[in-house]
Amino acid sequence: MAATTPARGWRSIESLGQAAIRLLSGVLEELDFLAVVLMSAGSMPRGEWPFLIRHIWQQIYFTAVQQAYLFTVVGAIIGVLTAFPLIVFRIEDPHLLGRIMHIMMYHQLNPILATLFVAGLSGAAITAELGELRANQAIEHLVAMGVDPHSFFVLPRLIGMALSLPILVLWLNIGVTVGAAAMLSIYQNVPPTVFFRMCLAGLSHGSLALTGGMVVMQAIHVILVQTSRAFRVGAYVDIPRTLPSAFARSFIGCLIITLLFSLVRYG
Amino acid sequence: MRVRGWVLDRWPAPKPFDFQVMPGELWMLVGAVNSGRRELIRSLAGLVEPRAGRLELFGRDVARLGPRARARLHRRIGVVLEQPGLVPAWSVFENLALLVRYHRLAPGGAVEDYVVEFVESCRLPRAILSRLVSDLSPLESQWISLLRALVIRPRLLLVSAYLPQETLVAGYGVWAFFAEVVEPMNMAILVDAGPQALPVGAETRLLVMDEGTLLAAGRARELAEHPDATVRGQVRFDHA
Repeated sequence: MAATTPARGWRSIESLGQAAIRLLSGVLEELDFLAVVLMSAGSMPRGEWPFLIRHIWQQIYFTAVQQAYLFTVVGAIIGVLTAFPLIVFRIEDPHLLGRIMHIMMYHQLNPILATLFVAGLSGAAITAELGELRANQAIEHLVAMGVDPHSFFVLPRLIGMALSLPILVLWLNIGVTVGAAAMLSIYQNVPPTVFFRMCLAGLSHGSLALTGGMVVMQAIHVILVQTSRAFRVGAYVDIPRTLPSAFARSFIGCLIITLLFSLVRYG
Repeated sequence: MRVRGWVLDRWPAPKPFDFQVMPGELWMLVGAVNSGRRELIRSLAGLVEPRAGRLELFGRDVARLGPRARARLHRRIGVVLEQPGLVPAWSVFENLALLVRYHRLAPGGAVEDYVVEFVESCRLPRAILSRLVSDLSPLESQWISLLRALVIRPRLLLVSAYLPQETLVAGYGVWAFFAEVVEPMNMAILVDAGPQALPVGAETRLLVMDEGTLLAAGRARELAEHPDATVRGQVRFDHA
């Protein structure tokens, strides 16, 4: 019995170590994939530039423009939900309300929510699309005929998503602010203009830059996870298996990125 | 295309082999199932690495080229694999025009004319260009895949796919299509079309494969008298 307890302890330490190694190797794989994509940009033929620009615009249109109304409506609902506890606890101080909004919502919760949506909507669509092209050998055909799959398929999506996600977070922030302002105006008699001013007062250039950097990193992470997973698809049957795991992995990664940035910001 | 000391990546390691394909020559790969025909095409297309060997394409050693030079070399290779490999959400025209635009084979405004002219030279109806690939039948998709490989006017064509005996035009057979359209392009052609391959005539050039290595290469009539029974067994004349 005495020998079993240390053995269990060692096993626990071993499994913890294995988990840490898996996490590290995942990060290294992602960085390796990013390096390949960035290097492919350097060797792009001139004929690929029109495709790159067109595909970036398409990515921005499908992600940031088509989803704009959805994000604003969802933001407004979240704003209303955020306002309820403030009303219940009778928090009326505009300064405190403004701080709660920009610390909790603008810098943490809204980027996570936007990432959740993007990983579920655009990310899953990208994985399914590229997975299908892998399964039907379209990518292999193009590679064999001189097309670089990283610069052709991944780079435009990476740039498009890095530009789209900050726009989506902005839509979400606007929705949340308007929703919360409406509720606080009705129940707490906080004038919307005062509330808006307090929300904006807490935003410094530094904090915005940090949040912007965080959102761009999240966008890059989502695309790298989704595309690298799609590139591993061997047959059609792999696509439905890949979608949930790619979604979970990209979302967990985004949570970790948010955590690290929050530690830098507040720690 | 010249291959030297080529060893396919399979276990146990097959014997190394050499062969070369010159412009204007059509070679057909024959062999039993799992004889290595598919792996050979894929390794020549750069999709899988061989265990060993040197590949010379258009007089240049591929192994010594950087990624950019290698990509330039691959622009002159047309490839057709087992599945059509078209983008399903795009039209036939967009699929055919992709490589023309990517490799800048025609100025921006002339891409449409280039593709239309090519399709008409293949005796295909122009209307097929506007159809979505997802609406095509498997046979039509396979033909469009072959046309996509040919539209770049390659110097080397690698085919590892089942080519139906009939083209999309009734009464216009695949043999006639190769003789009228493909061979005048003066490219080197290597075809692995499976048991339903292009018809083999006495003068057809064959590469006989077995267990991942090349057993013999030559014209069908010569190989029909080969001392190795495995080689003789793979040489069947479909027509005189």
